[in-house]
Amino acid sequence: MLSGKFRSALVIGGQGIRARKLRTFLSMVSLFLGVLAVVAVQAGSEIAERAMLTDVELQSGKDGTIMGYVPGEKGAPGIVESTLKGRTDAVAMISSRAIIGEPGVRPINEGGMPFEYANRGGDYSGPMVYCDANGTCTEQKKEERKPDGQAIEVSMVALTGDIRPFKPFRSVSGTWLDFGTAPSLAPRIVLNEEAAKGLKQYRVPGEMMIDGATHHVSPQIIGVVQDGSSQPRVYMRLDELRTWMPAAAATTEVDRFRGGGTQLELYLQPGTDDLQQLIKAKLTGAGLEQNQMHFQTVNSKERMESQLKIMRLIFLGMAFLVLLIGVAGILNVGLATVGERVEEFALRRAVGMSRLLLAGIVLAETLLTGLLTAALAIGAGVGGLQVALMMFGSRFPSLQGTAFPWEAGVAGVIAGLVAGVLGGLIPAIRAARIPIATVMRA
Amino acid sequence: MTQSFEQPTVQVQAPLLQLNGITKVLKGQGEPRTILSGVDFTVHPGQSVAILGRSGSGKSTLLSLIGLFDRADEGKYFLHGNDITKLPERRAAALRSAEFGFVFQRFFLLKHLTAAQNVAMALVNGQGWSARRKRKQQVMEALEQVGIAHLAKSKPTRLSGGEQQRVAIARALVRQPRIILADEPTGALDTETGNLVVEVLLNTTRQGCGLVLVTHDHDHARKMGRVMELRDGRFN
Repeated sequence: MLSGKFRSALVIGGQGIRARKLRTFLSMVSLFLGVLAVVAVQAGSEIAERAMLTDVELQSGKDGTIMGYVPGEKGAPGIVESTLKGRTDAVAMISSRAIIGEPGVRPINEGGMPFEYANRGGDYSGPMVYCDANGTCTEQKKEERKPDGQAIEVSMVALTGDIRPFKPFRSVSGTWLDFGTAPSLAPRIVLNEEAAKGLKQYRVPGEMMIDGATHHVSPQIIGVVQDGSSQPRVYMRLDELRTWMPAAAATTEVDRFRGGGTQLELYLQPGTDDLQQLIKAKLTGAGLEQNQMHFQTVNSKERMESQLKIMRLIFLGMAFLVLLIGVAGILNVGLATVGERVEEFALRRAVGMSRLLLAGIVLAETLLTGLLTAALAIGAGVGGLQVALMMFGSRFPSLQGTAFPWEAGVAGVIAGLVAGVLGGLIPAIRAARIPIATVMRA
Repeated sequence: MTQSFEQPTVQVQAPLLQLNGITKVLKGQGEPRTILSGVDFTVHPGQSVAILGRSGSGKSTLLSLIGLFDRADEGKYFLHGNDITKLPERRAAALRSAEFGFVFQRFFLLKHLTAAQNVAMALVNGQGWSARRKRKQQVMEALEQVGIAHLAKSKPTRLSGGEQQRVAIARALVRQPRIILADEPTGALDTETGNLVVEVLLNTTRQGCGLVLVTHDHDHARKMGRVMELRDGRFN
């Protein structure tokens, strides 16, 4: 139940606002831009953070995931594959190059570059020199330039299990890989958006050549996902790849130097330290050095928040400056109003109202004004976001389906209340100090 | 056969309010000025008192001390026998609400409120809370008491001076106070309307309410049960 004092303050505050509609409106106008600025900055930073976090999660994995990098040499892929077989708390990604299309030709996007940059410029590279750990350098023979043809180069990623619990890929069309069925001889592949774009843009034969594979394969495209990568990629089950590429296919350092060979990425759930130790022990036993294996916990959100924090503080500071101008407006109107209402306030005190409640009424009026302004600013923010999404949503896919962040609403309400308090405090103190005797005798 | 005789009782009523040796000094920028000097004043239930005096004699100051608008520099103030000389502001506000009804020369009605809302103002003051229906009933009773219930929805700008003062009196009566303090309530009214207002105020004393009327008008003062004159801060 609301107390009599609180109800009285609300009733009288409401009467005051109704009696001075134009002044209230002008106060709201002066405050509106400030509150809107706070709402916009908060909403903008929240939306940007969410969009960035979603992209970062797609690329780096969810926060808390333990991510490991292991070179694909000395039988490492086979060891990791056999260790993780049947486990759902860890997934390995084995990447290598693949070319889809005509065999023996130069791919349209040689090097697996994004199609936007395909066919730009020529081959201006000089001689390639590789130096090993002992400092012995040898010039690498350039690969013979192949004739241009209808083929695209992609990064081929083979998975030991479902990666989506670690990297939240968004389905664009079709389905994702089903790891519960028997492996197929014709590997099922899922394209990322860039690879799908390449296949749509260039008519290439449905034949795939994988680095290290014994034969060309005819894949079945079952879906397209958004994976946050700008380079063309295809995903497939590792057990389906193994039919065509035995685990024994080793990567040499020179392969890696050339940008080829296989590379291993491991994704482990938090709390799988034993598994991590087991993998490290097996790989060390196989001859890999400890310093060749890198494990780290993904901490994207905190890192990104700290990056955004400074930017957000700068913008919020600017928004609060605009808000202060609004507060000055309310304060000005409030002081003028108290001057005009001296008799009313003295009378209210004469009929039994305490100083504190009288101050509360003046504050209630500015607080109500602040809250009304906040409601308008939040409404404008929600509307503005809808309009922006309608106009620019197609240009920024990560913005699609973005809802107005509740944090911005809360920030708007707080800004309205703070402005109400700051703008109403001095008028409230003045109102409470009005001497009844002097006024009533006048 | 036995006869019983009823013993007559003499009832001595305790004073509603009692001021003993009240002194008030105005401390401004210049020399301190004594407005009231050792004033003694008592009002009993149902008693009406007129205070006469020239301008500056201290009438309104005395009224503001009685109404707890201000504090005396010296002396004692008893209300219903309780010493309230050094009452904190919060309790003084509660007493103003519960015990006193105020009527001023200027009516002090809020232009944006109707007559009924102006009367209800005394009920919406943070001293307790009554339901809207009950408030409405109390307001209508107060307006009926002063004979203007039919003007409940009128704004002050549409009322005559006499009607406005009666709204102010209804505002003073709505909480059923024990003491009415009226500071020159007829000062802005013509004689006929002034007489009417004084009659309305006197009616309240018939229900046991004390009335203190500050006035310059000797005719109105004579209608009161007691007339006192202040001169240079003292009663003659």
